[in-house]
Amino acid sequence: MVRDAEGASRRALLARAGAGLAGVGALLLDGCGSTAATAEQTATQTTTPASPAAADQDIAILSRALDLERRTVSAYVAGIPLLPRPLAQAAQQFLSEELEHTGELISLIKTSGGTAGPRANSYPLGHPTDATEVIALLHSLETMQIDYYLQSIPRLSPGPTRAAVATILTVDAQHVTMLRLSLGQTPVPSAFVTGLE
Amino acid sequence: MPPTRRQLLAAAGAATGAALVAPPAALAATGAKAMAPIPVPERLQRLIRLELLLLFCYQHVLSSGILSPRARRTLTPFAGQEQAHIHALEAQQRARGGTIPPGPGSVREANRDLAHRKVGGRLGQLRGDLDAVRLLLTTEQVTIGAYFVALNTLDEPHLIELACQIMANEAQHDAMLALLLPPGKIGSAVPYGLVQGLQ
Repeated sequence: MVRDAEGASRRALLARAGAGLAGVGALLLDGCGSTAATAEQTATQTTTPASPAAADQDIAILSRALDLERRTVSAYVAGIPLLPRPLAQAAQQFLSEELEHTGELISLIKTSGGTAGPRANSYPLGHPTDATEVIALLHSLETMQIDYYLQSIPRLSPGPTRAAVATILTVDAQHVTMLRLSLGQTPVPSAFVTGLE
Repeated sequence: MPPTRRQLLAAAGAATGAALVAPPAALAATGAKAMAPIPVPERLQRLIRLELLLLFCYQHVLSSGILSPRARRTLTPFAGQEQAHIHALEAQQRARGGTIPPGPGSVREANRDLAHRKVGGRLGQLRGDLDAVRLLLTTEQVTIGAYFVALNTLDEPHLIELACQIMANEAQHDAMLALLLPPGKIGSAVPYGLVQGLQ
């Protein structure tokens, strides 16, 4: 089911993610009078790391991030049936955003010259039995992702790749805020998102 | 709400189109501006100036008496968090011997800056929660956009991490502000999978 969800939307997500990168390139380059086509080409060039070693490191970082996102996707898919209706609707929205993150990461891996690995057959998610446990699980997975992004974004080599991954981090931080709210916790407890909230 | 990638693409396309029909001199000028590398102290100065504007807006809104108790409860901690961002950025700026920019000295100055940044609504003319939240929401999105742009060029690891931490926190503010707007549902507060703010 998870594989189907990712697989079915993967092409669309890739197209969108690719278009997103082109959009960034266009935004940065429109002052140069570039056409959309040349902006897209330049976006690809500017997100290509300078050296093969840097590219390998980027691919390793992005692949690990993809694995974390896929695990979170699995948790949303498994957990949504246990949530009450309003929360389930929100979680469905978050699931679709996590799928978009996997698409973005697959696209970035490809841009770096790599190939995304296959999904795992299953992910160890524990055995949550009610809504509170599901939200706690989702919260822990989202914060784990944030922690990883904060550690790894500075190690990515081209600036546009760092910025692109940061657009994923921001949404995961928003998810954490909403999950904390659902748990009755302070939604934005710190001025600096650290992955410990 | 943050723009979708489609909206950004459309905007970029429109901008590109405009650039293509602009006179060559204008192209050269805007091109030079877009491509010129910005030194770190200047980048920090821009971010501090924007954070000071955002803080000014929060403080003005919180002291204006136009907020409902719910909105006030939500927004009150955010002003302190913006202050913390400013302190952190100023510390980085001082370490580099850079200049600390002043914040807006008056509502008029703040409104001029908001207009310059194409933020709708003006301080002093807000009539309630919705007006205030919309202004703050757009200003937060402009701030997120500034960090997104900065991340394209910053190359010092601790500065990149700091920019990410603050950008993500502004995105959390964005979500909580969106929750104060109709329909006020959690899902609608986080409507996009990728958030890069307004540039």
